[in-house]
Formats: sequence, C-alpha cells, structure tokens
Amino acid sequence: MVDFFINWAANVPAFAVPFALAALGLIVTEKSGVLSLGAEGYLLMGALAAAGASVVIGDHSLVAFAVGALAAAALSLVFALMAVTLRANQVVAGLVMVFLAQGLTGLIGTQQGWTNRPIAGLDRIPLGPLADIPVLGPILFRQDMLVYLTLPIFFAVAYLLSHTMVGLRLRAVGDAPEAADAAGTSVTIYRYGAIIAGAAIVGLAGAYLSVGVAKMWVEGMSGGRGWIAVALVIFARWQPWRALAGAVLFGGIEALIPRVAAVGLQVPQYFMLMAPYIVTLAVMVYANLNKSTERRFDEPRGLGQPYLREERR
Amino acid sequence: MTDIDHNIPAALPAVNNSELRAKRQGFGRFNLEVRQHASAWYQVVALAGGVGAGLFIAALILVASGVGFSDLANEFIFSIFSTPRSLSDVLTQAAPLLIVGLAAAVAFRVRFWNIGIEGQMILGSIAATGVAIGNIGPAPLRVATMFIAAALGGMLWMLIPALLRIRHGVNEIISTLLLNYVAFNLLLHLLYGSWKDPKSGFPNSEQYEAVERLATVGWESLTYALPLALILTAVIWWLLNVSRYGYFTRVVQANPRMAAAMGLPVIAVTMGAALLSGALAGVAGFAISAGVEYRMTQGFFVGYGFSGILIAFLARNNPLGAVLVALCVATLFIASQSLQVFYQIPGSVVQLVQAVVVICVAASEFFIRYRIRRIHRGS
Repeated sequence: MVDFFINWAANVPAFAVPFALAALGLIVTEKSGVLSLGAEGYLLMGALAAAGASVVIGDHSLVAFAVGALAAAALSLVFALMAVTLRANQVVAGLVMVFLAQGLTGLIGTQQGWTNRPIAGLDRIPLGPLADIPVLGPILFRQDMLVYLTLPIFFAVAYLLSHTMVGLRLRAVGDAPEAADAAGTSVTIYRYGAIIAGAAIVGLAGAYLSVGVAKMWVEGMSGGRGWIAVALVIFARWQPWRALAGAVLFGGIEALIPRVAAVGLQVPQYFMLMAPYIVTLAVMVYANLNKSTERRFDEPRGLGQPYLREERR
Repeated sequence: MTDIDHNIPAALPAVNNSELRAKRQGFGRFNLEVRQHASAWYQVVALAGGVGAGLFIAALILVASGVGFSDLANEFIFSIFSTPRSLSDVLTQAAPLLIVGLAAAVAFRVRFWNIGIEGQMILGSIAATGVAIGNIGPAPLRVATMFIAAALGGMLWMLIPALLRIRHGVNEIISTLLLNYVAFNLLLHLLYGSWKDPKSGFPNSEQYEAVERLATVGWESLTYALPLALILTAVIWWLLNVSRYGYFTRVVQANPRMAAAMGLPVIAVTMGAALLSGALAGVAGFAISAGVEYRMTQGFFVGYGFSGILIAFLARNNPLGAVLVALCVATLFIASQSLQVFYQIPGSVVQLVQAVVVICVAASEFFIRYRIRRIHRGS
C-alpha cells in the first residue's frame, strides 16, 4: 500500500505540470480582461513545435521547450489581432484558435512525418542527497527539470502580477479598461502582451506533454486538457496559487487512472477515462456554490468585453 | 472666470494636446468610429470579401502542402459537380451538416454557447442504435422510433449543462465541451463492449437492418436524410422568425436583462432553445448513422461540432442561410476526402480551412461595425 502510494504520488507532478502551466498562462491573459478559450490550441501547437524541434535538431530539451513556447506565442498573435485590434467576439475568436491549431498541427505533423517518432525527452534528475529521503525523496526530488522549474515560474508570475507596476497596470486594464486608458496605460499594448506571454506559458505546458511526458507526438494529443485548464482558472478564481493546488488535484486524478486497474479494482476502462472531465464539472459546481458578493469580484470585471475608447458604454 | 483661464497656461507645461492624444491612440493617428448604420449591400460585400479572402488563404496553405493549384480547382469544382454520383455525395453530406448548423443557430439565438454538439450527436446515435439493436417498436415504425429516440438522447444530454447553468451558474461553454469527452468514452465503452459487431468483431455496431435505415429517394444513393433536414429547416425558420417564441428569443438575444425586466420567461426561453439545440444535434447523429453509414461507428461525429458553429456563424443564425453554407461546407468535406486519398492531406485540413474562413469573416465584420477615420492635426 505504501509502495502504491509512493509510486502514485511520485507520478503526480508530471501530470500536474501541464494543468498548472496552462492555467497560469490563462490567468496572465485573462487578468488583462481577454477571455481566452484557445488554451487547447496553444497546447497542441506547443506540443507539435517542441516535438518537431526535437526530431529536427536532435535532443536539446531546452531548445525544444523554447520552440514550443515561441510557436504558441506566434499563433496567439492571430487571436490578439482578432480579440484586441478587430474587437471580434472573444468566445468565437478563442474557439477558432482551437480549431485552427487542430488543423494546422494535424497538417504539419502528418506532412513532416513526426507522428510517433520517439524523442529522448526529459530525464528525471535526482537532487543529490535529498532524493534519498524515504517517501519524500522519490515523490519530490526525483523529478524532471520542468517540474523543478514550475515553482519558480509560479513565484515569478505571481510576483509580477501582484507586486509590480506592470502587474498593477495589467490588472487595471482587465478590471476597468476605460479607467486604465484615462490614466495613460495603453489597453492595446497590455492586452497584446498578456495574450502573447500567456500563450507562451501554455505552449510550454504543451511542449511538456510531448517532450516531457509522452516522449513522442500524436495528433490531438492534448485530449481536452486545455479545457480543463479553462475550468481550473474559474475554480481558482484567477489566483495563481489556487490554480496550482487545483492542478495537483487533477494531476493526482490523472495519475490514478492507470493504477486503479493494477490494484484489482474492476472499473470499466472507459469510465475511468471519463473521470477527469466529470471531476472538472463537479469542481465547476463547487466553485459556484455560495457565490458571495466578495467572490464575484475575483473575476476581472472587463473579462470578455472588447475595449474601444470611442464606444459608449 | 477669466482670471482662472489666464492662469492655466502658467501651471501646465505647453503641450500640443491633439498631437499627444493622437500619439496615444491604438492605431497611431487613426481613430475608430462605431458605424451607426451599414447598408445591406455594404454588409454583403464585406461578408463576401471575408469569405473570399479566407478561401484564398486556405488555397495558399493547400498549395504550400503540395496540391497543385489547377488540381485544387479541379477537385473542388469540376469533379464534384460533373457527375451525378459526386453531386449526390455532396447532398448526402449536406444533410447532417445542415442539422448541426440549425442546432448551433437555435442555441446561439438565446446566447447559449452549445459547444457540445458532438457529444449530443453521440448520445442521439447511441439512442437510435439502441432502438435498432433491441428491435424496439413495430418494424414499419422503426425508423420513426429511432428518430424520436435520437432527439430525446441529444436533449437529455443537453439537460445536464442546461441545468448546471441555471441551477449552479456553471458556464455552458466548458460544461458542454467537457461532456463531449464523456460521451466519446461512453461510445467507446459500448463499441468495444456489448455493442461490438458480432459478425466482424470490429469496434462498430452491427449493420442496421433494412427497416432501420432511412430509405433512398430513388436518385443515386441519396436518402431521405436530406428532405428531413430541409423540413427541419422550414420548421426552425418558422419557429425563430414567425412564431411568438422566436420573437422572445430575439429579445433575449438582444438584451437578456431587459427581457427579464419586461417579464419575459427568460429561463424558460433559454432552456427551451438549449434543449431544442440538443435534440437537433441528436437527430444529426441519427441522420449519419441511419442515413449514411447504416451503423454506429467510432468517429462518425468528428468535425461536426465546429462545422455547426461555423454554419450558424456564417448564416447569422438564419436557417435559410444555413442551407447555402451547409452546401459549401459539404463540398469542402467531400473535396477533402479526395485530397486525403490522392495527396495524403490529413482530414484535419477541413478544420483548418473552416477556421481560416471564420477568422477572415470576423475581420470583415470589423469593417461592418467600425469606420476608420484619420485624425487631422489640430482638429
């Protein structure tokens, strides 16, 4: 039983990191008041670009991650153009990004023959003596590079959002664009920046799916994780640390799925595979229970509304 | 008063105000104005320009991935409309597309974002196949029973997100989408389990018997799925544009809060449209299983969710416009099948083309809603 627990817990971080980073990227974007439903698309793009980079230039994981993040950021320019400059409906613009990425990654990946090509990927790095601590060692200190990097990334983004002028202006643009505009902050520039930076973080999560976990690329490999991340952000009330906690919860459930059958529990396979989505729905219901007035203010107040100075509101 | 006016220049640094304002505008020295009115002709031209630009970019992408330009024209225009056989393929394909387009349009009319059309199609087909496998009801009425079962299946699947939104405020975009994955796993559970084809052992349901299929109309392989879709179009058009309910949906779409203040039953109107949308999506699943494939397969629903959204978006939620758009999308589907066979272009290119068209149309709507004005210095 202890072995089972350690084995499960040691695998949770690898499953939690994609959720955590995807949710973090979404929080950055949505804090600026732009509703971002395209996370699934950025995950697909990051996964394809990182896997492709690994196939083309060989196994330089860091380069692959950078390529994944950059590719997602480049794709997000299309979304930024639609949502910010052209003031399109942000629901439509976000959905379109998912389908654009599905089509684009399917076309590029198949044409280049990147499907199922094995990638060396990330190794687990034991952290010296810490890795030999019983129980905690294998769970916390025998992980790969990106798991270790996730915490610093969270610290950096949380600090940026809540303790710097850039973060203050970003939140102002998201909460009251007309006030931020009157105070001399460019809504357009901050929203573009938030969309691109957020997409890069989501792209990193996508790169981790292909290069870090699966160690290969297949079409549509994100399997709805981007949508779970969208739900996670609502559950986390746009707060990075709550999103991290939620990501660990989902990582824990996902890590449990392949292990349930091993213990001898007779749950039909496909019902187990439904679990993450059903839990997400349950979490969404929970997030909306006892919705007090105080909690409602967690949502950026300008979320989903295009800003145009000349428009009467 | 004159005293104060006189003092201001001393207190403030001398800045050319209009220049500063112009510099801070998002578009440099350009200004965006909301159009009060755009003529119908202007709207049509802008929309057509958007669609045209989208198709042009999509064609460029296909040419870049190895399809010759003349081959592309050949695949899309000549070979599809040259033989009755391929024309009937397009019309057969158009039937389920038209129905999912109606499903999306009905939901969007009350601002309910139904992204779960594929899940509702799966449940519709599961319900219809259940009737077929269980031989439920008298044989002459079997297809009708399957039709009703499919509508109920899609409707019940939609009941979950509809209730979650009304009771618990859960965003329907996420709930309908997540339920797609649940429905897909349910489909796999059945197809790899008790509903596996006993004859071949493949993971699809056994073939429907003759009484469980939509009959052919007597021209090529076209079935009654298309007349069914057209009848549904007429009914939905009447419902949305003529009936009192349609008027209610228009008020709810324009402004839900005002509709509530006026005493309209906003929740009932929204629920009704959402459930109708689910039922239509279920019927689309039935139309594919009983009218095209004659069994329930693993991937019969793939791509229809987005196509439905696209059809409703391009047709501006108008059922009659949806007929035209559905035909175009059906052409795209059929052309992509031959691209897949002859040029090894993956099927996901259908999604790519549709996404590019939506992006360009969204861009064209910008020019319908706004006017770009140049700001003159000192004005």
